[in-house]
Amino acid sequence: MSLDSGLGIRDSKVRLAGAAVMLPCVVLAAMSTWWFVAGLAGQGLWPPDDVTLAEAVATRNNAEALRLIALGSDPNSPSRVRDGLLTNGYDVLVTPVEAAVGAARADSLRMLLAVGARIDERERLVLRCYERTRHDSSVREILDAGASGEPDCAHVRLPVDRKD
Amino acid sequence: MAPAHTGIVSHSVSRLKQPALFGFLLAALITLPLAESVFQVPIQVSDSLEAIGIAAKYSSASQLLSDSLRFSTTTLRPMRYLQARWLLDAARRTNVTYNAVFRAAHVALLGLLVALFLLAVPVKNWTDLAAFSVALLVLLGIHTFVAMLQEAFPVNHYAEVGVCALAVFVIARQPPRWFFPILVCLLLACALSVIESGAMVWIVAVCCAAAGMRGMTRSSVMAATLVLGAYLLARYALEISSPGIGGHGSGFGATFYSPEDLKQRFAAHPLPFYAYNIGGALLSILFSEPRNGVYSLAIARDAGVAHPVVIINVLSSAMITAVIVWYAATRIGRSRAAWSDSERAFLVSCMVIIANAALNAAYMKDEIISVGGLFYAVAAFIAVRALLDTTPRRTPTGGALIAVLLATSAGLWAFRAAGMHYVLRYDAFKTRNDWVEVLRPDRREDWPRDERELAITRTIRDEVIARRVASPSFMPRWADRYWVE
Repeated sequence: MSLDSGLGIRDSKVRLAGAAVMLPCVVLAAMSTWWFVAGLAGQGLWPPDDVTLAEAVATRNNAEALRLIALGSDPNSPSRVRDGLLTNGYDVLVTPVEAAVGAARADSLRMLLAVGARIDERERLVLRCYERTRHDSSVREILDAGASGEPDCAHVRLPVDRKD
Repeated sequence: MAPAHTGIVSHSVSRLKQPALFGFLLAALITLPLAESVFQVPIQVSDSLEAIGIAAKYSSASQLLSDSLRFSTTTLRPMRYLQARWLLDAARRTNVTYNAVFRAAHVALLGLLVALFLLAVPVKNWTDLAAFSVALLVLLGIHTFVAMLQEAFPVNHYAEVGVCALAVFVIARQPPRWFFPILVCLLLACALSVIESGAMVWIVAVCCAAAGMRGMTRSSVMAATLVLGAYLLARYALEISSPGIGGHGSGFGATFYSPEDLKQRFAAHPLPFYAYNIGGALLSILFSEPRNGVYSLAIARDAGVAHPVVIINVLSSAMITAVIVWYAATRIGRSRAAWSDSERAFLVSCMVIIANAALNAAYMKDEIISVGGLFYAVAAFIAVRALLDTTPRRTPTGGALIAVLLATSAGLWAFRAAGMHYVLRYDAFKTRNDWVEVLRPDRREDWPRDERELAITRTIRDEVIARRVASPSFMPRWADRYWVE
């Protein structure tokens, strides 16, 4: 025997239990609607961030770095890296190769060198000293190629040092 | 003027349809942004690029089909290459990017899975709708579902098998029709031609018949068995064997082992390892642990700390599994003739889950148990619905406890389902960056020799690099601990 009312809900207990049970799904559906509608305007759930070339490298996003270079970004020009990626408490202005060393990414460094990034002797010293604070053997291997002995970092200012 | 009773009937019909409409709306609203997340994942390098390259090289589809029968000594997947070729052709004809076409295929598979699930668990009244709102979250939130959308080979065959298996189940719930045997055979043939797990479609058909579902007639099962027999004969004639231990890496305890390590450890005495894998696959569907053979709880015990994702997954699964077990326990001993449609569907779901677990004997993988995950959601719908039905007979405290249990469980499953967006974005980021290593200017010796293969590789690479995706660095830091295992 069915105790169904017209709506199929048998009594208030079922109605209350059903409403409680449905709530998470309804909330997710509402949030999903918002994500989708906002997404149509490019502001949905976690849209791609606008980043500089150095930021792309610092966040291990080599594909984005390649895209930016293809669009005309200079792999040798410094650009802003926001607080929290390479530094804590302040933004920095670094070149993409400096960002690669800071992020300890040998693959990024190799890619940048393959697409036209250049490292002169002065910059190499800075990068080698910077790597000594990061300790990545693969990055060190690339930067130390052809160099002899340990670099003298006593008076070298690192790319991420805070400017007073 | 229409007679009064017509108005009453149409009013009643529209009232009956209201819950179904709400169910459809809930499913559509949750699936739409999910489809967008699925679409953002680019074509993969691993598993996909090789098949696409092969498909592009051949001058004719018939030659590709004929040669693909001999591509491997352990797999027979002719449709893998053929459908890649069809999608490449579709992209050229429509002037749409390759990525858009291949990802649209996955979006279509996601839509089909959700649509078939709606048909598999018909929502007729408001209690059904409440149960559906939990089951939908279970369907989308279970780890085996996202596995059907993450990997691509270049089209995810497990999602295709899932669609075929659910379609057979939906057929079995209908009154028998003359063309059902043909439909079942076509679905089975499609599934078997993309991956060996396609045999799950035959298992679903047999389980439906064994449970006495009205749409699955003896002739359908016999015809499907003939198709399976022909497939096995073809494998035998082509000297294709099944991969044993060492064909794929898999976990044991708290460690994931490489194929070589597995061979060394277990090949001499494989039975305990087989039992471990089958038991583990069953536990994985029911409790979300282990994953690919590895018990995160064992890792957590050793490390002294468990990631929240493990706790959320195990807890949410345990709650729904408890309801499923309660439902099974209350039905034991009833004669087959007295079974309702729901009870038959529940029995099919349980049998499919167990049979799917058995397919993991050689190695465990989330994708392999994905059909089991679909039927776990079906079982959840039936059990939750039955539990809600008992509330009028319970004390106020008992009813409140049930509501709290189900609402808590649904909340956890909703959280898991929302996590799919994060997992898919993470995948999109990783996959896009994998392409940087393809056609590296400093490794020209690794580039494809064939001009057509090189051209298609270059085009897809350029497309992927041009597709911007979210970076995990700019997504919430906590998400990893709550959504990624």
